[in-house]
Amino acid sequence: MGIVSIKTLDKTYPASGKNPAFRAVKGIDLEIPDGEFIVLVGPSGCGKSTTLRMVAGLEKISGGTISIDGVVVNDLLPKDRGIAMVFQNYALYPHLTLFENMAFGLRLAKTPKTEIHRRVTDAAKILGLENILERKPAALSGGQRQRVAVGRSIVRDPKVFLFDEPLSNLDAKMRVQMRSEIAKLHARLGTTMIYVTHDQVEAMTMGDRICVMKDGEIMQVADPLTLYNKPDNVFVAGFIGSPPMNLFKGTLERREGRLFFHETAEADALFVPLTGQMAKLVAGREGKPVFFGIRPENISESPHAIDSTPITATVELSEPMGSETNVYLKTGAGNLIARLHTERLIAMGDSLTIHLNLAKAHLFDATTEQVIR
Amino acid sequence: MKASTQERLKSTAAHVFLIGFIALILFPFLMVIAISFRKGNFALGALIPTGEDLSLEHWKYVLGIPYTETMPDGSVRTVQASTPVLQWFWNSLKVSTSASLLIILLSGTAAYAFARMQFAAREQLLKSLLILQVFPMVLALVAIYALLQLIGEFIPAFGLNTHPGLVLTYLGGIAIYIWMIKGYFDTIPVSIEESAKIDGATHFQAFVRILLPMSAPIFAVVFILSFISHISEYPVASVVLQTEGKWTLAVGAQSFLYEQNYLWGKFAATAVLSGLPITVMFLFCQRFLISGLTSGGVKE
Repeated sequence: MGIVSIKTLDKTYPASGKNPAFRAVKGIDLEIPDGEFIVLVGPSGCGKSTTLRMVAGLEKISGGTISIDGVVVNDLLPKDRGIAMVFQNYALYPHLTLFENMAFGLRLAKTPKTEIHRRVTDAAKILGLENILERKPAALSGGQRQRVAVGRSIVRDPKVFLFDEPLSNLDAKMRVQMRSEIAKLHARLGTTMIYVTHDQVEAMTMGDRICVMKDGEIMQVADPLTLYNKPDNVFVAGFIGSPPMNLFKGTLERREGRLFFHETAEADALFVPLTGQMAKLVAGREGKPVFFGIRPENISESPHAIDSTPITATVELSEPMGSETNVYLKTGAGNLIARLHTERLIAMGDSLTIHLNLAKAHLFDATTEQVIR
Repeated sequence: MKASTQERLKSTAAHVFLIGFIALILFPFLMVIAISFRKGNFALGALIPTGEDLSLEHWKYVLGIPYTETMPDGSVRTVQASTPVLQWFWNSLKVSTSASLLIILLSGTAAYAFARMQFAAREQLLKSLLILQVFPMVLALVAIYALLQLIGEFIPAFGLNTHPGLVLTYLGGIAIYIWMIKGYFDTIPVSIEESAKIDGATHFQAFVRILLPMSAPIFAVVFILSFISHISEYPVASVVLQTEGKWTLAVGAQSFLYEQNYLWGKFAATAVLSGLPITVMFLFCQRFLISGLTSGGVKE
């Protein structure tokens, strides 16, 4: 079992010297069911690592509680919490062999020798390290070292695995490989895993659920597709996805009985007629400031969807990728990026008419930055 | 052709400079060795004593071996050393080794606290340690004398004229070693100890089983430096140790130089003798002075 329950968790670093007090985590709540792979993701300084380190017991908790399997662990030592952690910089013991690196915790716990041997070799087999157990960390590649760090965690047989940006120090190729290895490991062990990363691709591909954080607060917790298709707020909408969602600030206007989104800009302002479901959604909000968001792939050259609406703009830049072309269209405050499936080259300066699929577009209240649903 | 001539010139010049430099360093040392093997107590003479000049009398004296000496009137007498030079040698070894070991223990643990723990006035303490170290220990001689006398009244083993008492005063001068070791600890990522903590290690276990083995080079350096400085330390030792049998080599050697008579030969032999343990210690510690001990544990 490994149910982690975080309640109104708070972390404040006291003022020291010239630095004022800093509230890194602001009363967050999070329930992690047994066996879930949850990813904490967010920009640097959002409190995701601090949260993980509080679960690990490496950071004192300023307020709230963390329970693992119903036991409040606030005052327990790391070793008594039933957790294991993999660090970004591997944090292996450089003077010990791989075997001793993995056996260190068991030796401290006075585990019988045969048991140590069994558990270390089992873990080594899972990770393909069985032939290099007598080597020292210096003789290994980055990927192997991180595998040893994972092995050290497996040997502890924890209720919860904690990963603190474990792939950030690996090169791109090794990162992709280790990503799938950790995902497979989760499938094999079925243990609860909490994974911290700033990389949204890792978050999307690995997590059962993703918890997006910003400035010490949780923005949204959801499975990857919900997060992608139904972001709760402007931050999540802009953070998840590459290229990111197009977001424009503007107001809702009614002209001749029809609703429009009007971008706030001096010139080239985007003017989007709102129809269908979206028009009903925002009825009565005329004159209010809003954010209009649409993902590049929900824009097409021909009107596929029922709720699509056409706009015409000038092409500023076109990036043919082969199967698709990213087109940057000029708008008031910047660019509208459209990912068009087209086989013809689109020239810069062209005037292009595109169709926005409003069923997949989002409107956010500009003051609360929350989605209007 | 021209370039290679220039290269050769450069390399020759470099060699001449370096050899000259080494000679400059070695010359006084060779002089001391020469004096210790020269008959009589003369500071000047041939660099390599030969024939009549060559004599082992000073070494025999220092090592406590009886030897014969021809007096100015022609009579021959046997000389047995009246001073316990070998006893001094043993005293020096004892004091320097135990002081160095204790210094490693104290400064290592103190440096760990300064490098890894958060406590009130940590920064201020660190800085004041450095400032205090600016004043040489000699300036505190009076205080040391008074303190040891006072301590001696309650714990005679640590009083004046005792080796533990001298070691105790030496332990006062560890600020610089704390700084050195702290500097080394600061280069070792905290995450290694954190991962030891998650593995179930206590603060002390993480220190002893993880941090210490990784820090062997700095401890070797501290041990050598402390050993050298304490085996040659004169002012404090000369005040604390009062009877001849308790003296260290540095104090004893000084006793060969009194105003009426400078016994250069015996002084030189004693000096060379005190260099021996330093050399041995250096060779021993050298195997800990290896780089790369901490590499591989983390991604740099």
